[in-house]
Amino acid sequence: MSGTFVTLVAAEIERPSIDWHAIAPELILLGGGALVTVIDLIWLERVRKLIPTLTSLVFLVALIPVITLWADGSGLPRGLWIIDENVPATGVWEGAFVVDNYSLVLKGLFLLSAYVIVLLSTNYMSEGDYYDSEYYQLIAASVLGMLVMSSSRDLISIFVALELVSIPAYLMAAWRKRDLKSNEAGLKYMLMGVFASAILLYGMSLLYGIAGSTLLSDIAAAIDIGESRPVITLGIVFTIIGFGFKVSAVPFHTWAPDTYEGAPTPLTAFLAVASKAAGFVALINVVIVALPTQANVVEPFIWVLAAITMTVGNLIALRQTNLVRMLAYSGVAQAGYMLAPLAVYDGISDRATSAVVTYLVIYAAMNLGAFAVVIIAARKTRSAELSSYGGMFNYAPGLTLAMTIFLFSLAGIPPVGGWWAKFEVFRVLTEGNRTSGIALAVIAAVNSVIAAFYYLNIAKQMWFLPSPDGDNSRIAIPPALLAAVGLTVAATIVSGVLPGVVSDMTDFVNVAAGQ
Amino acid sequence: MGVQQNVAQIPVDLGSAQPRAVAFAPVSDFLREYIVVGLFGALAFGLVAAFIGLASIFRPDRPTADKVENYESGVDPVGSGWSQSQIRYYIFALLFVMFDVEAVFIFPWAARLEDLGVFGLVEMVIFIFILALGLAYAWRKGVLRWV
Amino acid sequence: MIVTESWYLIVSALLFAIGATGLLVRRNPLVMFMCVELMLNAVNISFVAFSTALQDLAGQTAVFFVLVVAAAEVVVGLSIVVAVMRRRPSATVDDLAELKG
Repeated sequence: MSGTFVTLVAAEIERPSIDWHAIAPELILLGGGALVTVIDLIWLERVRKLIPTLTSLVFLVALIPVITLWADGSGLPRGLWIIDENVPATGVWEGAFVVDNYSLVLKGLFLLSAYVIVLLSTNYMSEGDYYDSEYYQLIAASVLGMLVMSSSRDLISIFVALELVSIPAYLMAAWRKRDLKSNEAGLKYMLMGVFASAILLYGMSLLYGIAGSTLLSDIAAAIDIGESRPVITLGIVFTIIGFGFKVSAVPFHTWAPDTYEGAPTPLTAFLAVASKAAGFVALINVVIVALPTQANVVEPFIWVLAAITMTVGNLIALRQTNLVRMLAYSGVAQAGYMLAPLAVYDGISDRATSAVVTYLVIYAAMNLGAFAVVIIAARKTRSAELSSYGGMFNYAPGLTLAMTIFLFSLAGIPPVGGWWAKFEVFRVLTEGNRTSGIALAVIAAVNSVIAAFYYLNIAKQMWFLPSPDGDNSRIAIPPALLAAVGLTVAATIVSGVLPGVVSDMTDFVNVAAGQ
Repeated sequence: MGVQQNVAQIPVDLGSAQPRAVAFAPVSDFLREYIVVGLFGALAFGLVAAFIGLASIFRPDRPTADKVENYESGVDPVGSGWSQSQIRYYIFALLFVMFDVEAVFIFPWAARLEDLGVFGLVEMVIFIFILALGLAYAWRKGVLRWV
Repeated sequence: MIVTESWYLIVSALLFAIGATGLLVRRNPLVMFMCVELMLNAVNISFVAFSTALQDLAGQTAVFFVLVVAAAEVVVGLSIVVAVMRRRPSATVDDLAELKG
C-alpha cells in the first residue's frame, strides 16, 4: 500500500521559474517586516519613534506591485510559477496561490487599512506605557497573513494564512499587560480563536478525505453536482462554523464585544475591519471555488447564519451604552449583511463575490473612520461611554461632522458610501426572484431600520445634547489621526457619491480557481 | 488498492450511518443530510452526558476531610494548590518549543537536499534567518537573561 | 480482524469530541488549552488516516503545518495565560467577568 509514497518521493523535482512579480507584495512585506525588526534590534530605544513610520512605509511600498499587477492586467490570473510548455509545472503547490483581480483588490484593501491602522496607533501606543515597536511588527505579520489569504486556493495555505492573521492578533489584544480588561480580552479571543481553528481544521480534514486533495479546485471537481453525502455536509458545516468564529457571526460572536472593548482601541479597529475581512476572504475562497456544486447544502446554512447574525447583532447593539461595544455589535450585524450574498450564490457566484467585496471595501472605510473618531474623542473624554459624546458639536464641529458621515454611511443613508454597499447586497439578493433571497432581503431591510435608530442616537448625542461635564475646551488632534480621519472621510464620501469608483474595481472580481 | 477505488470507499465507510430506509423517502436529500449532521451533534452531546452522567452514577460519593484533600505524594499538603512558582524556566521552555518544532520543516529538506539544489539551500537559509531573527530578538530584549 | 482507516477516523472523532467537551466543561484556562491540543491532534490523526487511505501526501504535509501552527498557538496562549495568572492567581474563566453586556 505504501508503494505510491515511494514513487512520489523519488520523482524528479523539476522547478519551474517563479513569477516574482506576482508574489512581490508578500515578499516586500516579509522583507520589510524583517528589516524593521533588525533595525529595532540594532538601535533599540534610539529608533523607537521611527518604527511606525517605517512600518507604514513598508505597507505603501508593498502597494506598488499590487498596482502594477493591476495595471498589467493582461497576465491575470497568475500563479506562483511561470507556466512554460518546456518546463512542466509539477509542484505540489500548483494552483494553491493565485493572483487575480479579486485578490489584488483585497490586497490593496488590506494594505491601505493597515496603513490607516498605523496612523491610528501611533499616538495611542507612544503615549501609553506599552511595548510599541513589537506592536507594529506584529501588525505587519498579521497583514502578511491577509495578503497570502487573498491569494490562497488551497486548504493548507488558507489555514496557515488564517493563523498568521490570528496569532499576532491574540497577542495584540492582550497588549495592555497591566490592565485586567485587556488580559481578559486576549484570553477570551485566544481560547475562542483556537477552538474555531480546531473545528475548521476538522472540517478541512473531512473535505480532504472526500476529495483526495487539499486544492480547492480539485475539491470542486471531486464532488459531483447534486451529490450529497453526510460526510460532505459535515465537512462543510464544520468549515463554515470555523470561519463563522473569525467573522463573528452569531452564535459564534461571543468573543467579539469583550475583545473589542478590552483590546487597545486601534487594535479593535484592526480586528473589526482587517481581521474580519480576512475571515470573509477565506469563506469566499472556500465557498465559491471549492463548493460551487454544493449550493443546496451551503446556502441554507449561511442563510440562517446571516439572518440571525444581523438580527441579534442589531438588537443587542440597541441596548449598548458604550460606543466601542456598540460598534462591536454593529460590526456583528454588518457581518450579517456581508454573509447575505453568499446565501444565494448559486449560479451568480461572480455577482455575489463582487457584492461582498464591495461591502468589505466600503465597510473598511467607514468603520475605520468611526474608530478614528472614537480614539480622538477618548483623548479628551478618557471614556467611550455614549453619554461622554454629548455636546461634541460645540467643541469639535469638524469631528462631529466626520462622525455623522460615518454613522450615516453605517446606517446606509445616501449619499455616503454605505448605501451603495447595501444596494449591491440587495441587488444580488433579489436577483433571480428566489423566495429565500427575497425573504433575506426583507429581513435585511427591517434590520437596516433598526440599525438607523442607534446610529442616529449617537449623532443626536453629539449634535444636540450638552456635554456631561460642561468642559467645552477644544480637542487637539495629532496630525496622524487627522490624516486617518481625512482619508476615511474622503473614501466614504467618494464611494457613495461616485459608486462607479468602487464598482469599477469590484465588477471585475471573480475568483480564479487556479489550474 | 488503487487511488480511485479509495476515493469512493472512504466516504461509504463513514456514511454507513446515513439513513437509507424508505421511511425517509419523502424528506428531501438536503434535509436528510442535515438530519445526519444533527444526529452527529446529538451523539456529541450524548457522549458528554454519558461521560459525566455515568461517572456520577457509578462512583461512590462519601467525602471525608481526608479524601477531599489534594494528593501530594502521600504527604499532607500545606497551603493552596495554586501557589506562585518561579517561572524562570518557563520562557526557555516556550522558546524551545517554538524552535524545536521548526525542525519538522528542516528534516524533509535535509533528506532531499541534493535534488533541491542551490535554490533549496537559499530558501532554507532564508527560513533559518527568520527563525534566528526571533532568537536574536529574544536575546537583545533581555529575555534570555537569568532572572 | 483488519484494522481499516475508518477505525482511525472513529478514534479521531472520539478524541475530537472529548477535546471539545473538555473545552466547554472545564473552567481552568490551562486545562482548556490542553483540550484544544487534543482537538488538534484528533485532526492530525484524521489527516494521516485519510492520507494513507488515499495514497496522497498532501494530508501528511498538512499535519506538519498543523503541528507548527499548534506550537505557535501554545507559545502565544501560554504567555497570555501567564500574564493573566500573574495578576490573578487561581483565576478561572468564570472569574474573568470584567467585560460583559
